[in-house]
Amino acid sequence: MEELIPIIKKALEQVDVVLGWAQSPAAGVAVPAFFHTPAEADAAVFDSTCAHNLAVYLPRLADKKVGIVAKGCDARSIAQLIAEGAVKRSGVFVIGASCPGMIDVKKAWRCFGFGKQVCDAAGKVAMEGKTVAREEILLWKCRGCRDPEPVICDVTVGEASSEAPAPPAEPAGIRKRFAAMTVAERRQFWQDQFSRCIRCYACREACPLCVCRDVCTIQAHEPGWAGAAVDSPQSWMAQLIRVNHLAGRCTGCEECERACPVGIPLMLLLEEQNDVVEELFGYRAGGEAKPPFLTFDIKNDTWDEER
Amino acid sequence: MPGKDVKIVGFLCNWCAYAGADMAGMARMEQPAGMRIIRVPCSGRVDPLLVLKAFQEGADGVLVSGCHPGDCHYGSGNYLARRRLELLGRMLPALGIEPERFHYTWVSASEGARWAEIVNTFTEAIKDVDEGS
Repeated sequence: MEELIPIIKKALEQVDVVLGWAQSPAAGVAVPAFFHTPAEADAAVFDSTCAHNLAVYLPRLADKKVGIVAKGCDARSIAQLIAEGAVKRSGVFVIGASCPGMIDVKKAWRCFGFGKQVCDAAGKVAMEGKTVAREEILLWKCRGCRDPEPVICDVTVGEASSEAPAPPAEPAGIRKRFAAMTVAERRQFWQDQFSRCIRCYACREACPLCVCRDVCTIQAHEPGWAGAAVDSPQSWMAQLIRVNHLAGRCTGCEECERACPVGIPLMLLLEEQNDVVEELFGYRAGGEAKPPFLTFDIKNDTWDEER
Repeated sequence: MPGKDVKIVGFLCNWCAYAGADMAGMARMEQPAGMRIIRVPCSGRVDPLLVLKAFQEGADGVLVSGCHPGDCHYGSGNYLARRRLELLGRMLPALGIEPERFHYTWVSASEGARWAEIVNTFTEAIKDVDEGS
């Protein structure tokens, strides 16, 4: 996406830094990059490996005027941060990038070997020698993407997709297996999953809405919600705290699951919670409205006691 | 496990459900012995995490009880509670906890008999789940 570079350079006239992606020399994929000068911006890329949600950097840059390249899903996170007051709308300049869907780099590496160039600049998956159906290595959130176009943006780059949004993806793989489990099987499932957790907090650090950072409840000594011991029940409780604190706030960007080094399917919890919140409150995070647990008006409460 | 004592943690509002439970006790109504009551100032105090923590620490069931809607001592605590607790209750199957193990309900200070009935029914439901699995 060549036209991105001049747009970033132009944005730098009015912002302190632009968050985007540059090619990683090590792995042949894009990694997040901070562009402070027009010269640095020459390295900007946008391809199918730009999966990172750069909105995660916004709250810590709240004292600066920040430009940010955002896909549709990233824009939802930005909108949510603004709705919650963690980021000022006037403090961000959103460069909305039309997104072709991002690939799961780990899956691509499994197919093609580590470090190969796994995609081309146009966003098409182009592998040397081998071909694999694009759908097979897309990130889960990109299958049946509901928001290919950014909900907020100041300037757009790339052709807006003319295709209608894909229908919701049928549960497959682990989602299908999880849905078929009994409650008791799920209890065992989570116990097994969280016995792998190393408590690195990558899930929290990668999450754009986990804005508390160093004052996180999970690590509080008093009252000690979750012990520091790395064992399954404590790690499980730690994750439940994170999930609970994201109720009505998670935009489903999947960054926690993508960041998890031991492959715990965290989105099973968050997708379920997002569905329940939508069902109960008709609310989907990532718009202009404040989250349901941040707002309550006793005079206009429409709760049905018999629900 | 047949015959096993069912451990239930009850979070009870000081202003109504706690007094209701007290009344049931004073009236010598028969109640299961496995209920551990934690008195809270208001059902609005009950963070869903308290419920999850109780389960993580080994509770077989968790019961939250506060004032009837409209009767909150502080005006709106129970309205806030039910939003959170309803969400929590619907999340439980995904977390691997049978929804029968959690219940939130409203009991006033004068409803001793109702309280006894709620505890009995809830305990029986948990026993059924334990035996079924």
